[in-house]
Amino acid sequence: MTEMALTPEQLQAMIEMSGTINMEVFYWWCTGLMVIIHAGFLAYEMGASRLKNALASGVKNILAFAFIIPTFFFFGWWIYLAMYGGFIPDFEAGAGGVPWLSAMGPNIMDNGTGIFWGAFVLFAATTASIFSGAVIERIRMSSFIILAIVLGSGVWILGASWGWHGDGWLTTKWGFHDFGAAGCVHMVAGFFALGVIINLGPRIGRFAADGTPIVIKGHSAPMSIIGLMLIIVGFFGFLGGCIIYNTGAQWTTIFGTPTTLSAVSFNTLMAFSGGIIGAYFITRQPFWMMSGALAGIFSAAPGLDLYYPPLAFLLGIIGGVVTPLADKFITSKFKLDDAVGAFSVHGVGGLIGVVSLGIFSGYPNVNGPDVSFFGQLASAGVMAALGFIPGYVLSLIMAKFGVLRVPPKAEIAGLDLVEVPLEAYPEAVPASKPDNSGTGAAVTA
Amino acid sequence: MASPITTWEGAEAVFTFADKPAVVFGIFVLSVIVTVGVIISTYKHENHSYIDYQE
Repeated sequence: MTEMALTPEQLQAMIEMSGTINMEVFYWWCTGLMVIIHAGFLAYEMGASRLKNALASGVKNILAFAFIIPTFFFFGWWIYLAMYGGFIPDFEAGAGGVPWLSAMGPNIMDNGTGIFWGAFVLFAATTASIFSGAVIERIRMSSFIILAIVLGSGVWILGASWGWHGDGWLTTKWGFHDFGAAGCVHMVAGFFALGVIINLGPRIGRFAADGTPIVIKGHSAPMSIIGLMLIIVGFFGFLGGCIIYNTGAQWTTIFGTPTTLSAVSFNTLMAFSGGIIGAYFITRQPFWMMSGALAGIFSAAPGLDLYYPPLAFLLGIIGGVVTPLADKFITSKFKLDDAVGAFSVHGVGGLIGVVSLGIFSGYPNVNGPDVSFFGQLASAGVMAALGFIPGYVLSLIMAKFGVLRVPPKAEIAGLDLVEVPLEAYPEAVPASKPDNSGTGAAVTA
Repeated sequence: MASPITTWEGAEAVFTFADKPAVVFGIFVLSVIVTVGVIISTYKHENHSYIDYQE
């Protein structure tokens, strides 16, 4: 028996390796759950599209996910590691994300890089999907892909490096705290979408000649509503990915402050509930109730590790009430067509969240000043600008070159017919040209 | 040989061509070119699709 006994060093090594593998397992399943976010966005966007655009919206959403993955490998992860100080990169810190070096591939001695890269890819793809919904039914696919790459593999991850990183300058200088990425994910994506829809313009028929908004109904409200619920399911993976697993020690936030999954459980569910109730109170309809659920979570996301749960519930209610009103406001006042309310749900919801933690705070930080109202407000301004400016400028350039939007005749005909060699519901309502070929096959462009 | 190792003993980076930086970089550049190429192809597909839908 004595020959079988482990030395303290061997025991220590076993415990450490067990912890390392548990860490990998935890983030692996967080990443898997986050894929459900994209199943949700896919259903949500296709349902919100008219029948003639259902598949084109699906293709667009799927491509956003697909293009984010390689481009985030090419340069996104490097941005996160290197750009935490502002616009001047730290090449030494960024070396772990250089795509042709030894950390960026199967490496027996590195259990961390790939699994964290994977989780961040899913965060990145979430930003692109947030933007995707706002521009359905009239944006050109190629322009959309470029904009999605800029947002998902460039802009948001720069915001994450600044404000969702232990050494990010927003935290070390202003005490910014944002547990659930309301700033770098939701605000940046929402404000990016706002910048683009200003230049993209509304769908044909969205406003009457006198400017009165006309509701364009999607072809399947139930599909959209179920999609929104799937996004919520996936958000449990997203929020799991926001917490740091430390072998043999308490969980910490990405900012190094101690926390627990229990804390996040309390507040996520309470804010989710508040968002639904708030949106129901103000709209009485399920599309906004489920969008309100998301807005509720974002409205409490920065402090999911800190709030007294009924406060998270109340913040959720505020998010659920304010976001449909914000969407109505930008539609009626500025004649903007955000097809799914992405700006109001993510941009405004995230803004409420970031600023609210400034009101209900005073918490100490590990690597910077205490969390404060000024720090949260100023950081919210940075996140809004970081999203809006690139989205607006890039889409303006695309619009000037005439490559941002599909031709009006194609928009009226429907993008499935024009671009997609497949029909959504071939036995229901025809979306293809009449078949004169005699083969029985649908004729598509 | 694509394998960078001859034994698992002490192995670190084990991905294909990990011991040949020029090949790794070449594959990386090729994957970037393919990604950009598909975006250009999408642009061309759209222009072709819109031929019947111009004003």
